[in-house]
Amino acid sequence: MSEHRISPLVAHGRPPIRLEGAHARLLETARNRLLVTGTVFALAFLVVAGRLIDLTVFDQTNNASLAGGVAPDASGRGAIVDRNGVILATSLPTASLYADSQEIMDPRAAADGLMSVLPDFDREKLVTKLSEGRFVWIRRNLSPNEQYAVNRLGIPGLHFEIEERRVYPHDRAAAHVLGLTDVDGRGIAGVEKTFDSELAAGKTLRLSLDVRVQDMLRQEMVAAVREFRAIGAAATVLDVRTGEVLGMISLPDFDPNAPGEDDDDARFNRAAKGVYEMGSTFKLFTVAMALDSGTTTLRGGYDASKPLRVAHFTIRDFHAENRWLSVPEILVHSSNIGAAQMALDVGGPTQRRYLGRLGLLTTAAVELPESGKPLTPKPWRDINTMTVGFGHGIAVSPLQLTTAVAAVVNGGLWRPPTVLVRGGESLPAGERVFSARTSAQLRGLMRLVVRYGTGRKADVPGYQVGGKTGTAEKLIAGRYRRDARISSFVGAFPIDAPRYVVLAMIDEPKGNKSTLNYATGGWVAAPVVGRLITRIASLYGIAPRVDEELEVKWRPPAPTIKKPLFVAVKEAIADARGRQIAAN
Amino acid sequence: MNALPSLFKHTTVLFLLLAVGLALVLFSVKYQVQDLEEELSQLNRQIANERQATHVLKAEFSYLTDAERLRRLSDRYLDLEPVQPRQIGSFAALSASPDRADETSGDTSNTMNPPALPAAIEEIER
Repeated sequence: MSEHRISPLVAHGRPPIRLEGAHARLLETARNRLLVTGTVFALAFLVVAGRLIDLTVFDQTNNASLAGGVAPDASGRGAIVDRNGVILATSLPTASLYADSQEIMDPRAAADGLMSVLPDFDREKLVTKLSEGRFVWIRRNLSPNEQYAVNRLGIPGLHFEIEERRVYPHDRAAAHVLGLTDVDGRGIAGVEKTFDSELAAGKTLRLSLDVRVQDMLRQEMVAAVREFRAIGAAATVLDVRTGEVLGMISLPDFDPNAPGEDDDDARFNRAAKGVYEMGSTFKLFTVAMALDSGTTTLRGGYDASKPLRVAHFTIRDFHAENRWLSVPEILVHSSNIGAAQMALDVGGPTQRRYLGRLGLLTTAAVELPESGKPLTPKPWRDINTMTVGFGHGIAVSPLQLTTAVAAVVNGGLWRPPTVLVRGGESLPAGERVFSARTSAQLRGLMRLVVRYGTGRKADVPGYQVGGKTGTAEKLIAGRYRRDARISSFVGAFPIDAPRYVVLAMIDEPKGNKSTLNYATGGWVAAPVVGRLITRIASLYGIAPRVDEELEVKWRPPAPTIKKPLFVAVKEAIADARGRQIAAN
Repeated sequence: MNALPSLFKHTTVLFLLLAVGLALVLFSVKYQVQDLEEELSQLNRQIANERQATHVLKAEFSYLTDAERLRRLSDRYLDLEPVQPRQIGSFAALSASPDRADETSGDTSNTMNPPALPAAIEEIER
C-alpha cells in the first residue's frame, strides 16, 4: 500500500526514467529505503486504526468512568441526628464578606452603602477597614438575605468567601449532649468532641436521644425550676432494656448557636458531669442488696423507734414513724434509721461489691467527655456503710443513678448507658447484679412507694408508676445545709414490665404555698416525673391499663399509715401483676 | 504500466477526500465531545447545587419542626391538648359495662398471668 502511495511521487505521469549502472543501484537503494519506511509507518497507522476500532466498537465496558462520574458530596463536617433521624447538628455553607481596598474607589461611599444593609457597624472603623488591605474580613457568616442585599449594592471590591458554619436547629433542646465546636469546626464538648474525627470525615452520627423527649424534659424542668426558684436541674430518661439514653438535659442550659452568651455554669452538664449525694433513692439499692444477699426478707424489719447514734453522728428520719418498721415500710416511709441498719447487716464489702457492679463507684463509661467521677468514702468504715445505705457520703451523677435503677427494675441486668443508638446486635448482654426475683420484689416495693409513700405525686392512673423519692441536704463548706437540697425522684413505668426509667433532679428548690413550703423530692420532683411519664407514654403509644381490681381495691391512702404494711403489700401486688420481665 | 498513473491519480484524490472527510468527522466529534463535557460539568454543578439545597432545606425543616416552635403554633392556631391517659380506652373496657357482664367473663387472659411479686410473698409466707 505504501509503495503505491509513494511511487507516484517518484514518477508522476511520465514513463519511468531508466538509469544504468551505479545510478540505477543508487535509485534502487533509495526505493528500498522508502519502502521500508513506508511499511513501518503503515504498520504504525494500522496499530492506531486497530486500537481505534477496539475502543469504539468492542470496548464498551467503562464508559462511565471516562465520563468522570458525579462529584462526591462535599458538605464538610457530618451531621448529628437523633434516633428518628431528626437533624440535631449540621454544617451549612455561609458567605463571609471581605474587602479588597485596592478595588474600592471610595471607602466612605462604600461604607455608607454597606451600612444601609448592615446597619450595626461603627462607621469610622468600617472606613478604615475598607481602605487598609487586600484582604480584610468585614463580616463572617452572613445570612442569605444579607448576602443578597450586599450583592445588590454592586460595590466593587467587596467579595464573598464561602465558609462553613455549625448549626443546631433545635437550639437548646440537646445542648449538653451535643456539645460545641470551635471557630475552626473542631469539637470541644459533648459528642462533637467524642466523635470529632468521625464527624470531621463527614460521617453522620446517630444518637439514641429522641428530640421530642428532650423537649418534654426541658419544658417540664424549666417550669419546675421557675416554680421552685431552683438554681438548676437535671433529668434523664433511660430505656431499661437497652441502656440507651432517650433524653438528658441539664439546667441552666446554653444555646449552642451562640455559645458565648451563656455563662460557664450553663455549660456544665449536671446530668452526666455533676456528682451529687442523691439521698434516699439509694435505699432502693440497699433494700435490693439486702434481699438479694438474703440478710433480710420482705417480712423482716428494723427498729426505727428512735434516732440512731453512731460515733458522733445521729441518724434521724425525716418522715419519722418512731416504731418498728417492716422492710417495705422502711422504703415507703423512707426511713434512714431502717436503711442504715439494713446496710450494716449487709456489710461494707458486700455493699461495695453491689454498688461497684451497679457502676456507682467508677466514672460512667458514656460517650461524653463530661462524665463525672463519683465521690466515695475513703476509708469505707461502718458509719460510711450506714450513710451510703441512705444515699449520703457518696456522690454519683444522675445518669449513673438512672442506669443503676434500670438494673434494679429490668430483671437485674446492668448495661452501660449510651447516647448512641443500640441496634439488635450491638446490645450488650448485660451483667447480672440482682436475681430476677429480687428485681420483681423491688418493682413491687417501688409501686408501694408511689401508692402509699413519699412518691404519691408521681402516680399516673393507668401507667403503674413505681419509684423512689430522694432529698439530700447539700454539703456546703463542710456543713449539711437544711435550706439547700437536692430533691429528686426516680421512677420506672409500667412497673410490672418497665420500659423507661425517668429521673428528675432539682438543685436547691425552695418550697412554696402549693407544696406547703416543702421542697422535698416527693413534693418537688415526683409531680414532674408524673407529668413526664404521662407525656412519654402517649408519645410512645403505651396504652394505659385500667385495672378493674385496682379500681375496686384502691382507696386514697391516709397521709400516714400506722398499721404494718402487709395488707398494703398484698394490694399493691395485685396492681403490679402482669407479665414478669424475662430475665433476658 | 500505462494504467498505473491514472490509478495513482484516482487514489490520490480518493485519499485526499477521505482525509478531508475524516478531518470533518473528527472535528464534529470533537465539538460534540466538548459540548457533552460542558453539559456534564453543568449537570455536576447542578447536582452539587441541588445537594447543597437539600442539605440546607433539611436543616431548615429540622429548625421549622422544632418542638418548641410547633407548640407555640399549635397553641395559637389549634384547639388541641396533649392526650391524657383517661382519654384512651379499649373495646374490652367498653364491653365490661354491667348489663353485658356475662360477655366479658371469658376475657381473663390478663388476670391469668401469675403476679410477679405475690409469688415471692407467698413463698416467704410458707
